[in-house]
Amino acid sequence: MLHKRLYQFVLVYFIGLAFLFTVKGVFNLSDYVIPSLPDIYITVHRVFTRYFFDVLNTLSVAIVGHVISIAMATAVGIIGRLSNWIGSLIKTAAFNIQAYPIVAVAPMIFILLGDGLSSRLLIAAMICYFPLLLSFIGILSEPITDIEHFYVHSGRMRWQLEVKIRAFENMNKLITVVAGSATLAMVGTIVSEFIGASAGIGYSIRIALYQSDLSKILVALFLIGIFTSLYLAVLEWLGHMVSRRWGEREAQGDRQVSGS
Amino acid sequence: MMPIEYKNINYKYPGAQNPVFNNLSCRVGDPGFHALFGQSGVGKSTFARMVAGQLNGFAGEIADKEPKKVYYSYNLERLPGWSGVGEHIDKVTPETNKNRIDEIVESFGILTCMDSGFSRLSLGQQNRVNLARYLLQDFDLLIMDESLANVDEATREQIIFKIKEMFPEKSFLYISHSVAEVSRFCRNILVLRSFLKMPQALTIHGQDDIRGKQVVKKDLEETMLEIVNAS
Repeated sequence: MLHKRLYQFVLVYFIGLAFLFTVKGVFNLSDYVIPSLPDIYITVHRVFTRYFFDVLNTLSVAIVGHVISIAMATAVGIIGRLSNWIGSLIKTAAFNIQAYPIVAVAPMIFILLGDGLSSRLLIAAMICYFPLLLSFIGILSEPITDIEHFYVHSGRMRWQLEVKIRAFENMNKLITVVAGSATLAMVGTIVSEFIGASAGIGYSIRIALYQSDLSKILVALFLIGIFTSLYLAVLEWLGHMVSRRWGEREAQGDRQVSGS
Repeated sequence: MMPIEYKNINYKYPGAQNPVFNNLSCRVGDPGFHALFGQSGVGKSTFARMVAGQLNGFAGEIADKEPKKVYYSYNLERLPGWSGVGEHIDKVTPETNKNRIDEIVESFGILTCMDSGFSRLSLGQQNRVNLARYLLQDFDLLIMDESLANVDEATREQIIFKIKEMFPEKSFLYISHSVAEVSRFCRNILVLRSFLKMPQALTIHGQDDIRGKQVVKKDLEETMLEIVNAS
């Protein structure tokens, strides 16, 4: 899982790099616009350690923001699945708010909360929250009639059981949605750092942009890609473990059937 | 248990051109093993859902003298995947009925399924497991909507005999498309017909076969003929 993600990223990264050098060659661009390989090599030596910790910083904010947004989306999704007025209100609000680009609100957040951790965290959480929420509401409000029928008509249905049934039946969808939103959390954090924060890899990219130093940006992109791939691989592994644990009983059944 | 009387029931699905029930009058809930029979699309499942209290928006009168626990089981139901069949059955069976688990499990031939996951069972086993958990509930009337559709004939016979032996005081409404089956095993067959026919429902007496009894072939054929003519 991990090595596949890393291979894929490294492949895409070097294809991108090759494209840049092709453009440089075709249009005869100077090293100032697109740096040469020796320039990039020198930059790697100069900034790698600093950027490594910057990406680590960004990733930790993204992970915390992601976890917060998952918790919020789960809680609100559970209420939003209801067919009463609260559920309708939440669904309508979520559909309308998600249509608005959260990044556009980011400057306001920086004005109100400053350029510290809280702003980065809030923006990261907000950017991946709404797609998560819409998916969670969709999944949790879809009845699994074949299973729920018995519980509903025997008077055993509780909201916890309803959520458990629907989550279990849609476990693969949930895992895909959660893993997909991890990239959004990373994007949100980097964008927030790029706009106004004073730490993280987004901030370093902003400085590199002011210096028109593409080699620094290329190093930053490489590290961002590696760390994002790592995070996605960990999430996929966790999802795999959850699926396996939940499906353990069925696997036992499998063994029994094949053994008999 | 006192039966439920339905008088002049009218019902039409929202947006549909034709009604499902047109002045339908009938009676369900007498003790014994009864059937609901009719051609596809005539409204058997709709009627079953109405009896089970899962359908609203119909007009007419329901004479129900005492509250009843009506359960509605159908053949497509599934058990949750996170627990094994045995664990699930144990969990959903009321304390007072737990002593019946072994008897039902054994006579339904699902003892080997108890440690398995539901999705790993064959369709016939799934049908039997699902029906077993309903039989372990406290019910007055159990509607079995093709609940044994995927079970072979011999096993189905054993199961129906067992149900009759174990629950003589309870009421069952068995929905099946097999004329021979309902004619042989059911006490009364409520034949549901098109909304254009009057009356829309007719009751025909079946052979009510039990273990050890020999059904006379001629009587069975007569019942089958009556049902076919009625529907």
